[in-house]
Amino acid sequence: MSVWNYVVTAHKPTNVTHSCVGNFTSPQELNLIVAKCTRIEINLLTPQGLQPMLDVPIYGRIATLELFRPHGEAQDFLFIATERYKFCVLQWDAESSELITRAMGDVSDRIGRPTDNGQIGIIDPDCRLIGLHLYDGLFKVIPFDNKGQLKEAFNIRLEELQVLDIKFLYGCSKPTIVVLYQDNKDARHVKTYEVALKDKDFIEGPWSQNNLDNGADLLIPVPPPFCGVLIIGEETIVYCSANVFRAIPIRPSITKAYGRVDADGSRYLLGDHAGLLHLLVITHEKEKVTGLKIELLGETSVASTISYLDNAFVFIGSSYGDSQLVKLNLQPDAKGSYVEVLDRFVNLGPIADFCVVDLERQGQGQVVTCSGAYKDGSLRIVRNGIGINEQASVELQGIKGMWSLRSLTDDPFDTFLVVSFISETRILAMNIEDELEETEIEGFCSQVQTLFCHCAVFNQLVQVTSSSVRLVSSTTRELRQEWNAPSGFSINVATANATQVLLATGGGHLVYLEIGDGTLTQAKHAQLECEISCLDINPIGENPSCSQLAAVGMWTDISVRIFSLPDLNLITKEPLGGEIIPRSVLLCSFEGISYLLCALGDGHLLNFQLNLSTGELKDRKKVSLGTQPITLRTFSSKNTTHVFAASDRPTVIYSSNKKLLYSNVNLKEVSHMCPFNSAAFPDSLAIAKEGELSIGTIDDIQKLHIRSIPLGEQARRICHQEQSRTFAICSLKTHSNAEESEMNFIRLLDDQTFEFISTYPLDTFEYGCSILSCSFSDDSNVYYCVGTAYVLPEENEPTKGRILVFIVEDGKLQLIAEKETKGAVYSLNAFNGKLLAAINQKIQLYKWMLRDDGTHELQSECGHHGHILALYVQTRGDFIVVGDLMKSISLLIYKHEEGAIEERARDYNANWMSAVEILDDDIYLGAENNFNLFTVRKNSEGATDEERGPS
Amino acid sequence: MGSLLGDWPSYDPHNFSQLRPSDPSNPSKMSPATYHPTHNRTFPPPDQVITTGGKNILLRNFYERAEEKLRQKRAASEHVMPEHGCKQARVSTS
Repeated sequence: MSVWNYVVTAHKPTNVTHSCVGNFTSPQELNLIVAKCTRIEINLLTPQGLQPMLDVPIYGRIATLELFRPHGEAQDFLFIATERYKFCVLQWDAESSELITRAMGDVSDRIGRPTDNGQIGIIDPDCRLIGLHLYDGLFKVIPFDNKGQLKEAFNIRLEELQVLDIKFLYGCSKPTIVVLYQDNKDARHVKTYEVALKDKDFIEGPWSQNNLDNGADLLIPVPPPFCGVLIIGEETIVYCSANVFRAIPIRPSITKAYGRVDADGSRYLLGDHAGLLHLLVITHEKEKVTGLKIELLGETSVASTISYLDNAFVFIGSSYGDSQLVKLNLQPDAKGSYVEVLDRFVNLGPIADFCVVDLERQGQGQVVTCSGAYKDGSLRIVRNGIGINEQASVELQGIKGMWSLRSLTDDPFDTFLVVSFISETRILAMNIEDELEETEIEGFCSQVQTLFCHCAVFNQLVQVTSSSVRLVSSTTRELRQEWNAPSGFSINVATANATQVLLATGGGHLVYLEIGDGTLTQAKHAQLECEISCLDINPIGENPSCSQLAAVGMWTDISVRIFSLPDLNLITKEPLGGEIIPRSVLLCSFEGISYLLCALGDGHLLNFQLNLSTGELKDRKKVSLGTQPITLRTFSSKNTTHVFAASDRPTVIYSSNKKLLYSNVNLKEVSHMCPFNSAAFPDSLAIAKEGELSIGTIDDIQKLHIRSIPLGEQARRICHQEQSRTFAICSLKTHSNAEESEMNFIRLLDDQTFEFISTYPLDTFEYGCSILSCSFSDDSNVYYCVGTAYVLPEENEPTKGRILVFIVEDGKLQLIAEKETKGAVYSLNAFNGKLLAAINQKIQLYKWMLRDDGTHELQSECGHHGHILALYVQTRGDFIVVGDLMKSISLLIYKHEEGAIEERARDYNANWMSAVEILDDDIYLGAENNFNLFTVRKNSEGATDEERGPS
Repeated sequence: MGSLLGDWPSYDPHNFSQLRPSDPSNPSKMSPATYHPTHNRTFPPPDQVITTGGKNILLRNFYERAEEKLRQKRAASEHVMPEHGCKQARVSTS
C-alpha cells in the first residue's frame, strides 16, 4: 500500500466567473481578460476574432478581477484578488512578453466574519484607492499615492452589515462609494459615503435613497457626464444621483450580470437568470438624465459576466452553460432576436453528477457528466480525444488517395501534395504566397488514378499507377525510369519507401522493386495462392530507408502475412478469422516496440507485437474503431510518431507507458489522411472528408475531447444500464414564464443517440435525489431504482420520499415497485443482492421480496441511525462507507447472521462532505465543501474496535 | 428600437471584421499557451508588498482622540503661555 495518493487535474476549469476588457498587452491592443476559477485567460481582439494569448494559473480562486489605468500610464493594469484574501496588481511587459507583479499583498484580517454575499473589490475611477469589502462591517482601503504606488491598507467601519453591492461613483471630487444594503427589517436602501483618506474614515455622502425594490441586488455606476448610479431590482430599475431620480418597471427577472456598452454610460447590457439579454438605455437631454428604457435583445447562456468587446461583439461569460461570443444585430432574425451566437467556449461546470461508461466498447472509459444548470443543462461526454484545428480547406469531391512529397530528399518540408481521383491525379504545391495551387510534375502520369507515391533516394519521386511504376527526378520533375506491369496484369495495390517498392497485381503476383539512382530494378517476384488486398513496407528496423520485412493482407483466406525482403520468403502467416478482409496493414514502432496493425473492412483493427528479427507476431488484440473500412497512416507530432486511422470514426493510435491507446478525432468521417509538413503549415495534416480537402494542425495527443448533448433542463443524477443500453437521469425543468414553476422527471435516454426515449414525471415538489441500475437476489432482471424527496416549502428537511423501481421494456420505463420513505433518499446502492438507501439521518437496507401474486416489493430489513444527514454512500463487500453532511466519513458493517448494520469506525473531524469513494479495502477518499480531498485509512491492526478507527 | 441598437462603439473597426463563425455544434477549441514565469519580476518591489495597518479601528480611534486632546491641550497651552508669561511679568512688575 502506498502512503501517498497522486491527484492530477484532467481538465482546466471552464466556468467563467469574471471578465473585463481593456488595453492590457499594449496601449493599442484591446484585450478580453477572462477569469476561470483559478486561471485567467488573456485574449486579443483581432479582425479574425478573439485570439487566445495566454492562460495564466493563479494560486487561488479568483474573487475579483478588474482592469484599471493609474495616472500617467499608457496601458491598463490588472487587479486580481483571491478568495483567500491575497491580491496582486499585474502589468504586461510587451517587450519581454512577461507578466510583471507591480504590487501584491495580503488583505486578510485576523478577526472578521466573511461576507455572506461574496467578496467585493472595486477601484476608484480616478485611481485614488482600491476598496474591498471582505468582512461584514468592514471596508478595506488600499490607497494609491500620487505616483500610482500602493500604500499600506487600512480598515474603515461600515455600519451596514448586510451589504449587497458597493461601487465607486464617478465624477466626485473625493472618492465616494455607494452602498446597497438590507436593513434588519429586510428593506433595501442605498447610501453614499465619501472616503476620507487622511482621516481613514467615512464621511456621510452627498445622497441616499431608502426603500428600494426588495430584489435590488446590483449597482451600476454611471460615468460622466451623467454620473450617479443605476440600481437593478427584480421588478424595477432606478437611476439615482444627487438630484435626479428616475425609475422604470421591468418584467420580473433576476439580473445576474451587466456590461457597459458606451463610454459615456448611456447603454448597458443586462443578462438575467433565464439567459435573456436586455439593453438598458439612459435617455437624456443636455447631459441630464430624463428617463430609462429597456429592450429585450434575445437569449444567451445564463451570464455570470458580460463584456462589450468591439463593433457590436459581446462576450457572455457563463457559470451555468457554455460561454459565448455574440453579435448584436441591427435587425431581428426570424425569431425576433437581435443576438447572434458566433462562437461557444465549452463549460463543463457545474457538474452535479457523472458516470463512467465504455460506450464504444473500446476498453476506454468515457465520463458522462450532468453539466450546467437551469436551461443550460446538458450531458457532456468527456473522453480522451484529439482535436484538428482546421487552417485551410477547399471543396474537392471524390478523393481516392493523398501523399505529400518533398522536392529534395533531405528537405525538411513537404512541397507537393498529390491528390488522386478515380480517373486523374492532381498535384498541389505551396506557392511563394504560401497558398496551395495546382502544379505539375511532368514525369507523373496525371490522367489516371495514383495508387501510391513516395519520396525516394537521390532526389527522386515514385508514382505507382495501375499500369506502371514511374521514377521521377524531384528537381527536374522529369521521368527517369519506368517499370511496366506485364501485359494483361494491372497493379491493384502498391507501397514504397525511399529505396523499395512492393506491388501486387491481379492473380496474386507480388513484385519487389529496388530503387537506384535513375534505376528501378525488379529484384524479386512471388506468386501467392490468392489475391492481395493491402501491403506495407514501412521501414521500422535499424535502416530508416529500407525495410527487412513486408506485411501483406490477403483476400480469400483472410490472413495477414509477413515476408522477408528482399527475397520475399514467407515468414509468418496469421489467419485473421471471420469473413472481413484486411483493408490496410501498417508496420510501425511505438516507444521502441514494433507492431503490425491490420485494419479490416468493418472498422475493426487488429494489432500484434512484431518481432523484427524473427518476423513473429504475438499478443493479438482486436478493437472496434468504427463501422467502415479503415486506412492507416503514420504521422508525427512533436517528434513522436502516431498512427492515424481514417474511417467513419477517425482515430489516432498512440502509445503511452508502452500501451497502445486509441483517441477519437473530432471529425465526423475521414476517408484519407496524409501528413503535410510545409513551411506555411508546419506539422500539419491534409485530410480528405465529405467532399472537402482540409489542412489542419493536430492538438496535443491525449487532450480530452468533449461532446455536448444540450437537454434544455438540468440533469441532477445519471446512471447507465449496460443491458438495456440506456442512460437514466433525474432532471429538473424550470419554466421561466410568469409563474416560476419546476417539473421533475426521470428520463430514459438511448446510450448511442442520447435521445429521450421514455419519461416518467415525478409528483409536484418531488425531486429525484439518487439513481441506480441494479439487480436483486433471485431475480435476473436489471432495474433502475430512483430515490426521491418531497421538498415542501414549509419544511426544513424533507420528511417524505419514495424509492421507485423501474424496468426498461420496449424502450419504456415501467414502474414495477414503489416504497414510501420517511425522508429524502440521498443515495442508493446495490448491496448483497439488496438495496441500500441513505434516507435523511438513516441508512436503510431493503430486501426484494416476491409476493404471492408474482409481483415484487421492497421490504425493510434493517437500518443504522446516527448521522446528521447521510448524503453519500459507497459499499464494498459487507462494508458501507457513509459521507455525512457535517460529520465526515464513517464506516459501517453489515452482519449477515444478525441481519444488522453496525458502526465499525469513524473519522471524528468535522468535515462537510461533498463525495466519498472507496479506494481499496482500507482506504477511503472524501471530498468536502472547502474544495479539499482527503483520505482516511481503516486501522485493521488494532486489537479492539476502538483502536481500529480510522487514522 | 433601431435608434437604440445602432451606432455600436468601435475601438478598431477592423476587429471582428474577418471573423469566421464557427459551427455552433463545434465549439471553439483554441486554447492559449499556459504562462510559465521564468523571470524574477514575479515579486513586486519591496515597498509594494502591501499589508493592512496594524492598528485596529478602535485603537486608531483611541490614538486619534488622544492625539486630538493633546493637540487641543497644546494649542490651549500655547495660547495660555504668553498670557501666563505676561501675568508673571505683570506680577514681577507689580
